[in-house]
Formats: sequence, structure tokens, C-alpha cells
Amino acid sequence: MKRKILAALLASTMVLSLVGCGSGSDGADSAAPAQDAAATEEAAPAEDGAAAGGEETLTVWCWDPAFNMNAMYEAEKVYQKDHPDFKLNVVETPWEDVQTKVTTAAASGDLSTLPDILLMQDNAFQKNVISYPDAFVDLTNSGVDYSQFAAGKAAYSVVDGKNYGVPFDNGAVIGCYRTDILEQAGLTVDDFTDITWDQYIENGKKVLEATGKPLISMQAGECDLIMMMLQSAGSSLFNEDGTANIVNNDTLKAVMETYKALKDAGVLVEVNSWDEYVGSFVSGDVAGTINGCWIMASIQTAEDQSGKWAITNMPSLVGVSNATNYSNNGGSSWAVTANCQNTELAFDFLASTFAGSAELYDNILPSGALATWAPAGDSDAYGVGNDFFGGDAVSAKIVEYSTKVPSNITGVYYYEARDAVATAITNYINGSDVETELKTAEDTVNFNMGQ
Amino acid sequence: MSKPSKKMTLNKKHNLTGWVFLAPGALLIFFMSFVPMGKALLLSFKTGVGAAMKSCGIMNYTRMFQDAVFVQSIKNTFFYLIIQVPLMLIFALILASILNNRQLRFKGLFRTMIFLPCATSLVAYAVIFRSLFANNGIINLLLVNLGILDQPYSFLTNTWSARIVIIIALLWRWTGYNMVFYLAGLQNIEYSVYEAAKIDGASAVQSFFKITVPLLKPTILLTAIMSTNGTLQLFDESVNLTDGGPANASITMSHYIYNMSFKYVPNFGYAAAMSFLILVLVAILAFLQMKVGDKRD
Amino acid sequence: MIKVRKFGMYLFLIIVSFISVFPLYWMICASTNKSAEVISGRLVPGTYFMENLKALLASQNVGRALGNSFKYAIILTLLSLVISSLAGYGFEIYHDKAKDMVMNIILLAMMVPFVATMIPLFQMFSKAGWLNSTMGFILPTISTPFLIMMFRQSARSFPHDIMEAARIDGLSEIRIFFQMFIPTMRSTYAAAMTITFMNAWNSYLWPKVIMTDSNSQTMPMVVANLTQGYVTDYGMLMLAVLICTLPTAIVFFCLQNAFAEGITGAVK
Repeated sequence: MKRKILAALLASTMVLSLVGCGSGSDGADSAAPAQDAAATEEAAPAEDGAAAGGEETLTVWCWDPAFNMNAMYEAEKVYQKDHPDFKLNVVETPWEDVQTKVTTAAASGDLSTLPDILLMQDNAFQKNVISYPDAFVDLTNSGVDYSQFAAGKAAYSVVDGKNYGVPFDNGAVIGCYRTDILEQAGLTVDDFTDITWDQYIENGKKVLEATGKPLISMQAGECDLIMMMLQSAGSSLFNEDGTANIVNNDTLKAVMETYKALKDAGVLVEVNSWDEYVGSFVSGDVAGTINGCWIMASIQTAEDQSGKWAITNMPSLVGVSNATNYSNNGGSSWAVTANCQNTELAFDFLASTFAGSAELYDNILPSGALATWAPAGDSDAYGVGNDFFGGDAVSAKIVEYSTKVPSNITGVYYYEARDAVATAITNYINGSDVETELKTAEDTVNFNMGQ
Repeated sequence: MSKPSKKMTLNKKHNLTGWVFLAPGALLIFFMSFVPMGKALLLSFKTGVGAAMKSCGIMNYTRMFQDAVFVQSIKNTFFYLIIQVPLMLIFALILASILNNRQLRFKGLFRTMIFLPCATSLVAYAVIFRSLFANNGIINLLLVNLGILDQPYSFLTNTWSARIVIIIALLWRWTGYNMVFYLAGLQNIEYSVYEAAKIDGASAVQSFFKITVPLLKPTILLTAIMSTNGTLQLFDESVNLTDGGPANASITMSHYIYNMSFKYVPNFGYAAAMSFLILVLVAILAFLQMKVGDKRD
Repeated sequence: MIKVRKFGMYLFLIIVSFISVFPLYWMICASTNKSAEVISGRLVPGTYFMENLKALLASQNVGRALGNSFKYAIILTLLSLVISSLAGYGFEIYHDKAKDMVMNIILLAMMVPFVATMIPLFQMFSKAGWLNSTMGFILPTISTPFLIMMFRQSARSFPHDIMEAARIDGLSEIRIFFQMFIPTMRSTYAAAMTITFMNAWNSYLWPKVIMTDSNSQTMPMVVANLTQGYVTDYGMLMLAVLICTLPTAIVFFCLQNAFAEGITGAVK
């Protein structure tokens, strides 16, 4: 049997190659165009609907079927009510691939592979628009009313005073706690509301003593928590003029010292990977976590823990001016690419859905997509209690938090700076000196900027 | 022997046939690899953010040696190369010669099992390795229960253990792959040679060094060059297992080049220049290996 | 003494096999458990397989992805085996200084990371109108320095007397290649086929960049999609990964006797 398979494969190999040899040495090249033509014909109608003239179809790239893809499908339904011919072609594309494809297309000068609309991580917005200004469409006069979005959120996609994105999901930071574990240490979630990091560490020690469990886990080598703490005091890794703000940033220094104190006290445990991070609270190895509000979706996969979780704001920094209990982590916005042939349609679609339909935001609320569009927060749906979190109206709470988040400057070199700070914190925890590490980090960022 | 003149023409004809045979493959490589490489080479003398590029001479080539992260990545990559490649090839050779033994039972099963790791898709491999070496993973559980460790050790967040985990992962994934080439190569050696050697009283170790290794030399050269190339361009493990961490202690050159192209503000000129350094390094090593190994008897 | 050594050999093989197979076992277990169980390290099979399968089929078009993956991998494997083996044969059998030189130059083609040449290649393909086409997908990897060198190295053991005899019989050079070389080098072809199929099956970056249509999604893309959400369903992910791994494993299992069992019944 196996021999037969091999023989058949080899035989077909020979046939193919004989065909190739018949037409000269360039067998492959002469045989292939036929396939090619067939494939393009097949692909063309589905792929670039917007380019096909009067047809009311838009192509969209986003990446989470349960979340942002679902939101797009719901938006399609909402828009179809007034525009029955309207259609969306949503192509599931992981974020890293969106980035790779945008960079490749823009760097090659052929934008024809890009969709009409794509979802972009807020942290990457400045970098992409400044690197490839011709690839994106200015939305300032597109009919989207930006005054209705939380100012800090909309700021992510503003470049040189122009709006390039329609804000989508909320990344307001929440503190999530296992109430049953806290109870064993004689604490409630109120003991974690409006507190400072010093109080958090004290509480954490009590929990550790009573249950042996740390309060929080974080992925080593990633500086999510560092960035959240930094933004909670309105501080950034860059100044307004784009220069690095690391060595002379006293808030950053306080953040690093706080992080080390958390780790040294055993209140925070570092894990190796994202899987392990999620695993640590899903399996109850830690008593909670602090992250962007989208983390709730992961928490809720532990169905057996329903009712045992509660949500509140995050601790604030001590000895730092402008310290608050609010911050942001993650989130994304919709961008329109220069390949969009029917920008009028794209503008109108976005303005009347993500920037104009409370109904849409009500429909996508069950999937965990919390609005950054202010009018949506007034909807009754946001006041409904969530049994998983002890019947608390978490949605309304988070929308309220998001209005209090201090805005920050991502800067063009955000990822460079973030990696440099991640290196600094790793070395600092392992015993190096904080001043030296911050100096190295700033040097690294300056090196990257001096191309 | 035919007349010299006729032999000349026959040789010429064969020479030409050889060129015709290799032409399709060589032309494809020329257009699909060398043309883009030429363009990338031109790009490596330019600098700029995104689409706005301007000439900068050899600045990119001098810059990379002042780039602390890139220099660290060169060191890391060479560490992997020096430890992992010889270990893996020796291990693969040993496995192949054991599995070539005619008396052995369940050969097919053993072979398939040993090959499986490289067929495993990258995602699974990454998730599995991260979970094995997690703080509450099986490895830690085992070491603590055996009393070797007092408390779980964080393998992926300590400098040396992170590098060693990458080497272990590479060994696990690619040993079976290389074994395939040796097994295939061994089939071209008459099995009777081994039987004769056995009758002459040669031990298994002796026949390994006296028969297997010399006769497999062309294949060993192939795998050595491929593994050297693969290791110097190592990317998957660095990205997926440790994300280059802790503090860039395990980042590889390719990983840094990728970051420079797609994660950071794109600087393709600089990325291209660093890529050509890899070319030069691999070419030198391959040249040395060819010098030693590519001789026709 | 011999018995002890034999026992040692088996023990060694069993240990190596166990280590190699363990992740596959892990994957199979994971695909039958709930996400939260997978992530807390449960290592025994569960009862959640059907639910994972249903969830996977509901969220991803697995059938289409498998079809695409098979289509591309088979076309690519066949084309590249013919073209690369012919080239490797040409380099070795008719070797001279010039060809050895060309071979060395060709090896340079694999030494630059693909990230650096991807954008120029994309530009070329965009000018040629090959974006989003099967042609664009397969063309860059049909001929690889690796395969050419592999066939060049193994052609070295192709017996010269077979060649001479065939030439005396009046066979043309191309027929010697097809009728003598290919059957004799069966084990090399089988090994090359396994490796090429595996590489084609797992290729990701280039296909992803050049294929923009969701109709041309392949299995590795489906797996990547599943890792991208805010929440990863690990049970479902591992099931997809299992489905993605099996074809290569099966190809290996079917072809392994051909490259590891010696030349029996080959053309004399």
C-alpha cells in the first residue's frame, strides 16, 4: 500500500516534469500562469468589493471572532436597516499579521492588498501613521463627532492634530479580586477600593499569610503593569516634543520601586508567559489581577468561580503628584486605509455605527465590548448586574472609570521604549541599580530614534 | 578509449546537458532570491522612517556594532550555534545508526515517534514547552518532588536557564529531522559492509567511526551547513518561548531584525544591513565546512 | 553481554521516543479538555472533545483550510522535487569547476533572513500581478538551495557503472535521470518529499502576506487566528493544532519505509 502511494506520487511527479520539459527549460514558469489566472479570477470578486464601483461592500480586517469581529457583524446589521444593499466582508486577520501586511504593502508602495477598514492597536497608531502617512485616510472631517468619545481614548489616533481612527474598545484598568480568598484574610473588596499601593502591599501580606496565595501575577519581561501605573499618574515615556522621558522621570522611578516592593513582599509573583498568567487566576493560584477591562472575558472562562469575583479600581502611586486610581491598558481603533475606493461609504458607515448608534453598543455589550462612545454609557443595558461579579453593574462602573483615565503620550517609538523599560525592570529586580538601568533604557531609546 | 576529439565533444555535450538540467532551479533561485537580495543590498545603504528613505553610505553597517541589543543578540546566537548544532548532529547520527540496525524491532514506530516533534506545529510546541517549564509545570514539579530543588525555579526568566531551555527545545525539535537525512543516506551504504565488519570482529563503535561516518560525509556536510544556517537565522524559539527575555538574554539576530522591521518604527535599511551580516557569517562558516567536507574521492 | 547491550539500546530508544511523543499526548489530552483545565495543566483525557470540535467548526472554516493546505502543499512538493532534483543531479553528475562555483553561489540564497527580502519580493510580485494568486504563493519556494544541495550530495553515491551502461544502451541523458536515477534514489526522494511537504504545510509568513482573501486561508492561519483573541480557548486551539499536525505525521509514517528500509527491488 505504502509503496503504491509512493509510486503514484513519483509517477505524477514525472508526468508534471515531462510537461515542463516539453516546453523547454522553463517548465515551471510556462505551466504556472494558467493556474494563476484561474486563481485570480476566483479571488477577485470576493476580495476587493469596494473597488468594484457602485457596489456597497466594504472589506474589514480584525481578529477576534467573539469580540471585534462580532462587533463588525452587528454594525453591518445596524447599517443595513437604512442601506439594504450594504455588505461587509470581514476577514479574520490576527493583529500581528495586520501589522506585517500593512508594513509590507506600504513599504512596497502597493496598497491594493489592504482592506477598506482595519482595526489597529492604539499603541501602534502613531508609529504607523507617521511612518506611512499615505496609507491612511484623515477622518477629521468624516462626520464622526469626536467630542462624544473619551478624550484620552481618542488621543491615541490623533497625529498632527488630525484624527485617523474611530475609537473602539475600552481598555480602562480594573482590579479584579477573588472575594472568597480575600474573606479568609478578613478582607473585602472595599479594602481594595481607592487605596494606594502601600495599602495594597499591606493587604497582600495579610492574604499571603492567611492563604499562602499572592494577590497578583504578572508576565515577566512584559511591562504592562509598569505602563498602567505610569499612566495612572498621567506620566509617559515621552515628552510632548517626542524626546524620551525616562531618566528624569520621577514617576517612572517611583513605579519601578513600587513594582520591586510588590515582588519582594511576595504579593506579586512573576510568571513565564501569557498562558501561565491566565492560568494563575483561572485556577485560583492568585487572589486576583489588575489589567485592562477586557481581562474579564478570560476570568469568566472559569465558570466554577461565578459569583466569587468582584471588580474595583486600581491602587494609586504614593508620593507622586497627579496620582489617580485610574489607567488604561490596550484597546484599539478603526482606521480607514488609502486603498478604500468608496471613502464616503466608509465614513458614513463608521459615523452612523461606532460613532452614532447606541443600539450597536447595546448589542455588543454581552460580548464584553465596552464603549468609549459616551452616549452608549447612558443606556440601560450598562446598568444591568453581572452575576459572575456578584451582581455588580460592572459595565457602568468601567465606563465611569474610563472617563477618569489620565491621557498619556504613546509616541512614535512606543514599542522601543516599552522594551527598553522592560529590560530595565528585569535587571532592577535582579539587583541592579535603578538609576543605571533607567539611563541604559534612555540610551537605548535615543539610539533607536537616532537613525 | 575513443578518439580524443570525439571525447571532447561528448564531454561538451554532457557539460551542456548539466547546465540545461540545473537551469530551471537555478533561474528560479536567481529571480526569487538574488534579485530581491540585490534590492535589499541597495536598501542597506539607505536610512529613514517608513517610506521616506535617503542614502547614508555605510552608516547602517557601522551602526549595528554600536547597537547594544544587536551585539547581545549576536552573542546569544553564537552560543546556541556552538552548543546546539554539534550536540544535535551527533545525537541524530547515533539514533540513525541504531535505527538502521536490521535486527531491531518496531523500527517504524520508533522512527515515527522520534520524527514527530518537528511535525508538531509551532503553536503547540510553544504552548507545551512554556507549560512544561512553567513555575507550576511538570519539570518543576518533578525536580521539587525528587528533592533536587527546594522551590520551583523560574526557568524562562533567568538568563542561563532561558538559554538552555531554548537549546533543549531546539534539540527536541530538530534531532529527528536531521535523523531523516542520515537514515536516507545510510540506505546508500550496502548493509553487507557492516556484516563483514562484524565478522572481522569490529565493535559497533568501531563500525560507526570507520564505516558510517566516512560514508555519510556528504550528508553530514549537508546537515551541518543547514543547521548552521538555521541556527544563525533562529527566530521561532526566541519569539515564542522566551520573547527574547529576560532582558534580551535570549534574543536572536533574526528576532531583532524582525522587531526592527515590524514591531518597532520600520527601518528596513538597518534591518537589511543586519541581515547581510548574517549572510557573511553563514557564508564564512559554510565555506569552512565545505573546505573540510566537500571533497570528491 | 550482547543481551545487555540490546536491552540498553531499547531502553535508550524508549526514553527518546517517550520524550518525543509526550507533547503529542499532551495535545490529544488538551483537545479533550476545557480551556481552564488545559491551562491548569491537566494531563489526562477529558470528555470535552465534541464540544471543542463543535466550537472549532463553528468559529473557523477548517474544511476549506485543510483543502487549501493540501492543495498548496501537494503542488509545491511535486514541483519542487522535480525541479530541485533535476538541478542537483545536473550539478553533481556533470560537475566541473564552474558548476561547483554556481552551487556555492546558490547556497548564498538561503543565508539572508527572509524578512529582509520579503518586501522587495512583494514589490516584484505586485508588478507582475501575482498578489493573491496560487502562483504568488508557491513560486518563491519551488526551488530551494537546500533541496538542490540535498540531491547534489546524494547523487554522489549514484553508481557510475549504471550510467555508463545506460549510455551504452543508448539512453538519452534525460531518460537516464527519469528511468535510472529517480528509482535508484528512492530513499532520497522519499526523505525530500517528507521534508518539503512539511515545510510547505507549515509555511506561514509569506502566504499570509501575499494572500489577502479569506478563501485562501490555510491550516496554520486557522491556528494563528485561534491564538489572537482577548480570550484563548486552549482546548479548541489544541484540537486545531492536532488537526494541523496529523497530515505531516501521516505523510512521514507512510513514506518512512521508503527511505529507511534500504534499496530493495531497485532497477539494476
